[in-house]
Amino acid sequence: MTDLDAGLHFRHGLIVLTNTRLLNFEDAGTSHPSFVVWKLADLQDLKLEEMGATIALQLLGNDTLIAQWRVTSGSLRQAEVFVARFREQYRLLDGEVAGADAGDKELEEDEEEIFAAEDSEADIPPGKPLLRLLSFARPWYRLLFLGLSLTMASTAAQMIAPWLTMSLVDDVLIPLQSQTERVHVHKVYVFISGLAMAAVLTWALNWGKTFVVARIAERVTSRMRRETFEHLQRLSLTYFNRKRTGDLISRISSDTEHLSLFISVNFIDFFCDVLQFIFTAIILFSINPMLAIAALGPVPIVAWLVQRVREHLRGGFAAASRAGSQLTSVLADTIPGVRVVKAFAQEQREIERFRVADKHIFDTNDRVNKTWSFFTPMIKLLTDIGLLIVWAVGAWSVAHDTITVGVLTGFVLYISSFYERMDSMSRFTASMQRAAASAHRIFDVLDVKPEVPVERNSIRIGRLRGEIEFRDVKFRHGSREIIKGINLKIAPGEMVGFVGPSGAGKTTLVNLACRFFDVSEGTVLVDGLPLNDIDVTDYRRNLGLVLQEPYLFYGTIAENLAYGKPDATRAEIVAAARAARAHDFIMKLADAYDSMVGERGQQLSGGERQRISIARALLVNPAILILDEATSAVDTETEREIQAALDHLVKGRTTIAIAHRLGTLRKANRLVVIEEGRIKEIGTHEELLQSSGTYARLHQAMMEVNHT
Amino acid sequence: MSSPQPLNIEFIKDGHGRLALVDTNGIRHANVHPAKLFPLTEKDLWISIQSEASREILCIEDPRSVPEPSRSVLLEALGRRDFVPIIQVIHRIVRKADGHEWHVTTDRGDTTFEVETDESIQPLGHGRLVIVDRRNIRYLIPDVASLDRVSKRKLEHYY
Repeated sequence: MTDLDAGLHFRHGLIVLTNTRLLNFEDAGTSHPSFVVWKLADLQDLKLEEMGATIALQLLGNDTLIAQWRVTSGSLRQAEVFVARFREQYRLLDGEVAGADAGDKELEEDEEEIFAAEDSEADIPPGKPLLRLLSFARPWYRLLFLGLSLTMASTAAQMIAPWLTMSLVDDVLIPLQSQTERVHVHKVYVFISGLAMAAVLTWALNWGKTFVVARIAERVTSRMRRETFEHLQRLSLTYFNRKRTGDLISRISSDTEHLSLFISVNFIDFFCDVLQFIFTAIILFSINPMLAIAALGPVPIVAWLVQRVREHLRGGFAAASRAGSQLTSVLADTIPGVRVVKAFAQEQREIERFRVADKHIFDTNDRVNKTWSFFTPMIKLLTDIGLLIVWAVGAWSVAHDTITVGVLTGFVLYISSFYERMDSMSRFTASMQRAAASAHRIFDVLDVKPEVPVERNSIRIGRLRGEIEFRDVKFRHGSREIIKGINLKIAPGEMVGFVGPSGAGKTTLVNLACRFFDVSEGTVLVDGLPLNDIDVTDYRRNLGLVLQEPYLFYGTIAENLAYGKPDATRAEIVAAARAARAHDFIMKLADAYDSMVGERGQQLSGGERQRISIARALLVNPAILILDEATSAVDTETEREIQAALDHLVKGRTTIAIAHRLGTLRKANRLVVIEEGRIKEIGTHEELLQSSGTYARLHQAMMEVNHT
Repeated sequence: MSSPQPLNIEFIKDGHGRLALVDTNGIRHANVHPAKLFPLTEKDLWISIQSEASREILCIEDPRSVPEPSRSVLLEALGRRDFVPIIQVIHRIVRKADGHEWHVTTDRGDTTFEVETDESIQPLGHGRLVIVDRRNIRYLIPDVASLDRVSKRKLEHYY
């Protein structure tokens, strides 16, 4: 349970809670494992306290600290559960309902388990996620069946040609050459046309197979892409905060692409190869078991050798690709940061950095090429040796008259076409591992539960009046308690400003009000209803959000304005833009309201983008408005413009505004000063100035900055 | 749109061929120019009348609300400013080293223009496509689906 000792060295300890006692074992080195027991009746409380990266568990009794244990934050959850159990048990005991049947509740968990889930990507068994892929293919089972039948048929068709060749040699060519018996020359035509037909049949079946399989692969991956994206859209903000954007993008785009390739190419190739192996084996054994054993005997050995060689190569290629990505990261670092590089005159240093990365690639590739150039012909050599064995045994058998020349020809044809596939078969393990990793990464996203669950029996609401109440709200993120108990009631139509230093919990509080996160303790009430019971979509329809970094999507300005209300009329759009003071600058753009903006579109200034986002919020006519640092990223002049736009927006709505620039809050009915997750002061601007507390100090600092 | 309220304003073409506006209060604004709010998606409605200093004086939602002969004067002035050829047939799109060259027939006759990147071809929704050429002229395809088969196939490579 505990993993640190009093001196903060890693050491295992155990605290055990029974129905009447609390026991502690500590592994104090090898000599004296200590063992202490307390009666629950003598104890008062067990408390958790954060101490930087570690956590202290404090045992209190008779108003004194009896014992203290330390754990790392990795076992925080465990500790929390333990404390909760302790309190429960303590209460039970206190109420004289000493549950004799409660039995011993032992909490003993290995902490390794908690970490085990983390970096398992490297050694996941490939079977499981790939089997799960099948569930995605279920709607197309008929197509799947067709694909499999076509694959079998086309592989079988490939077997015809060597078979015909065998008869061609034995019944036509040899007699023709030796001229011992009369040969019907027309038989040649029969065999040749038979071979031609076999070729055409193989072609047709292969075509059908490839087409059907590619179709299935495309459908399965498209469904995966869609479902992953849909799922992502439902996940909470906390998830997105934890993940890198690039990583999520690559999961949806390139990982599904890998899977598509795996299904349509690698897997089907492998399946064909296996089928071919089975068919070949059956045919060979039916003709001549002796020779079949000689021909197929070396196959596993050669296969194993090829596999080894490939394994070796793969390590090299992986190193090369790592070196490549190092180079990319140097580029990705330097090119966007070129202004900084130039400003500090560090071009030479970046050139040096690039040179080192490039040298690394150069060296790795050199090494890989060395192995590669040696081993690729090596694979060829191995398959040639396999063939040689067939030739040797075959020649010997022909000499002893156990088989005919035709049979030997057939054998060689079968086996050589088989060895040709050996190389591609050997690639299968690698591609399977890659596909499994991709599948795992996708399922990893799909398996995340939305942290703000959609209640089934949630209350449907229409338009809200806009009353918000925080009741004993606490919020914890990991081991850090960010909101430490907030009580605040905001009346409909009131404007409240949140003020306080960075990291005080202002944005978290707003996120709780938006229900981007769920509270850890307490409740948020909206119009008297607990927020958790209200349908999230209904609630968010009542919400308008203006953020510090206004985000515009790729599309026209009109589309961006109507983002929250796609059915808005042009009159509404223009009216909202006018109210947000955006109309004039929009008219100056080349295509006015039809101008493209967003990532690939026209560049707008920060203030212009902000006014568009204000107009966007205005257009949905929200009952509750959230302004999160809406003015902090722009200059004073633009701030004035935005301020005018905001004044329009705020009217008649419940507004929560966060601002560093206190000027933005001059219209606020009340200002709430938040510090370290608690409310420090509440009042109007004047009241707070008079009380000369935190707000007065902030205001003073602002004034000084503005005057210098 | 129901029958628009007639507006009590007047447009006059002055001696220099410039547009002048007499607004509802009888005040005369010289050298005004009309600008469309939605030049690509709703090109017949929503016209802003801008002053010499590019300030909006008024906004006309529907030019039909302007009484004749002012309406003709306005529409003529608009026609003089407005240049968005509508592509009717795409003959050839030739890939060049730095972009592609389009050979098209528009509602204003045959022309050839150069487009720099694929980003210059912007979908506006509802099958509407706008193509911005190197000279910053906009060409409109109001509905990709209604193009002829050959033109559509040529377009497919780029959009």
